[in-house]
Amino acid sequence: MADLCINNIRMQFSGVVALDDVSLSVKESEIFSLIGSNGSGKSTLFNCINGFNRPQKGSILFGNDDLLKKKPHEIIRCGISRTFQNVQNIPFMTVLDNILLGAHHRIDPESTVKRWLSQKQRAAEEVMGLEILDFLGIVNYEQKYMAGQPYGIQKLTEIARALVGKPKLILMDEPAAGMNDQETYEIAKIISEIRDELGITVLVVEHDMSLVMSISDRVCVLDSGEVLALGKPEQVKTHPDVIRAFLGDSADA
Amino acid sequence: MKGRYEDENLTWIPILIVGIFLLPFVLKGLTYSYKYYLFVLNMAGIYIILTVGLDLLSGYTGLISLGHAAFLAIGSYTSAILVDQVGIPFVFSLFISPLIVGLFGFIIGFPALRITGMYLGLTTMGFGFIVKRLIIAFREWTQGAGGLEVSFPIIFGYTFKSDWDNYFLISAFAILAVVVSRRIGKSKIGRAFMAIRDSEQAAEASGVNLAKYKMLAFFISGIFAGLAGVLFAHTSHFISTDHFDILLSIYFIIMVLVGGASSIYGAVLGTLFIVLLDYLFVPEMKGWIQEFLNIEGGDIQSLLFGLIMFLFIIFQPTGLYGMWLKMRIYWKLFPFNPKKKFI
Ligand SMILES: Nc1ncnc2c1ncn2[C@@H]1O[C@H](COP(=O)(O)OP(=O)(O)OP(=O)(O)O)[C@@H](O)[C@H]1O
Ligand SMILES: [Mg+2]
Repeated sequence: MADLCINNIRMQFSGVVALDDVSLSVKESEIFSLIGSNGSGKSTLFNCINGFNRPQKGSILFGNDDLLKKKPHEIIRCGISRTFQNVQNIPFMTVLDNILLGAHHRIDPESTVKRWLSQKQRAAEEVMGLEILDFLGIVNYEQKYMAGQPYGIQKLTEIARALVGKPKLILMDEPAAGMNDQETYEIAKIISEIRDELGITVLVVEHDMSLVMSISDRVCVLDSGEVLALGKPEQVKTHPDVIRAFLGDSADA
Repeated sequence: MKGRYEDENLTWIPILIVGIFLLPFVLKGLTYSYKYYLFVLNMAGIYIILTVGLDLLSGYTGLISLGHAAFLAIGSYTSAILVDQVGIPFVFSLFISPLIVGLFGFIIGFPALRITGMYLGLTTMGFGFIVKRLIIAFREWTQGAGGLEVSFPIIFGYTFKSDWDNYFLISAFAILAVVVSRRIGKSKIGRAFMAIRDSEQAAEASGVNLAKYKMLAFFISGIFAGLAGVLFAHTSHFISTDHFDILLSIYFIIMVLVGGASSIYGAVLGTLFIVLLDYLFVPEMKGWIQEFLNIEGGDIQSLLFGLIMFLFIIFQPTGLYGMWLKMRIYWKLFPFNPKKKFI
């Protein structure tokens, strides 16, 4: 069983406590959403999972792997890949090469050498990326340079890069941020398909409530680094603390 | 599913290679001073071997090196000592010396794990000074500042004595260097390099071990510089510390930048451009430029290179190669959409 178990994490940046005693677990093949206001520690939690931040306390387990003992580049080998809140693409590489970056750990050195000698091996590598492009419905972009592509394509390329590594769990940091309604709908569909067709567990941070509520199996609300509520979407929506914290706030503002 | 990512049309490559090997005959037919042109082209060929490797390090991986003249020097002196004093055949030195320089690159790579940008440039520059001092200090082997005579390249009994002979030797290795560096650049190694340059986070999240790949970039770059050094030492028969000045390191970076960082063909174009400018254009035009600017003496070369670098960075950051791509797209689409820009 490849569940993600986060136990009593505390992450402090000299002064700022970004995560305070956070515990939650994401079950295999579930779509789990993380919501919360700006600065509530959502991205920090992602960074703890994939080794960019080292929590002072607690443990993070994925299956049998103790993630806190892993270096950031080893996390994908444990079966976890991610996207970033502010897109992190390589502008002077083609869309396909950007995606294939995510297949780094799937391409062994031996086939790299073979690829230098034969065209066939190269095609095999490209097919990994093309399959994902097909899945996301953005074929014909593969040969274009990343620089200058529309924002939607950049976001999708990131998702593709995370998928091509064949993870068991994908972390998505605000995949629909900056998208219009149509694109947000597309993203929601893609997230569902990632779980339903590829069988990948999804942990997603998102601000778009309708998206979160429509696709999530469970939702966790973070507030100033603490878990405010956790449960099924309809439970969370009606949770008194959540209503006080969010609807109360927005009513004031 | 089949790979749809079509390769570029590759038929021009064999044609170009044949052209490269026919060039000396054409030059000989055209001009009496063909020997000088071959000498210049040999210089360009040696530098191309170095700059394509430098491109992988500084262009692709974004790790600026201002110490590549020192790598060239280590390659030259290592080979000269191994062949002439230890007695190893030149053919073996062609393999051993670049590896040794690669190891030096590996060592210089350590500080690069912590520092980047201009500070790395300064560190590698310091390495250049140290190497120069060390060459002078080890005078038993290197003859110190006086310089060292080096034997001719001998491959399977054939001795390469003239610029004519050397042209074929150097071209062969330059072509090899370009092919190999392009393959590296287009493989997962090249992708990892560029990811390190543009987003360390994306690289790490994709499974790239930053430390390993930064060291690898220095190692590979060292191998290329080492090979260039071996060829430089044995084809010019004489090396001294003056050949490996700090200014040369800066010229190497200019070659890569002018060509267009992170494109191997760019590095080739940039190197040809600068070398031809340096050896053919500047000597011709020196008097005229001095008269025009109304100065006597003066370092016209540095002035010109500084200006070129400045203009390229401001007006053509994608370099000569970017210019070529733009032109190609322009002609492909002509007369439609001629304003369409590349990137
Ligand atoms: N590397 C860091 N150094 C110092 N403080 C940090 C660092 N990373 C995050 N923080 C702080 O931790 C808190 C949580 O930040 P985080 O980015 O996790 O919020 P978030 O929930 O992702 O917010 P948003 O919705 O704006 O993305 C913030 O107060 C932030 O300033
Ligand atoms: Mg965030």
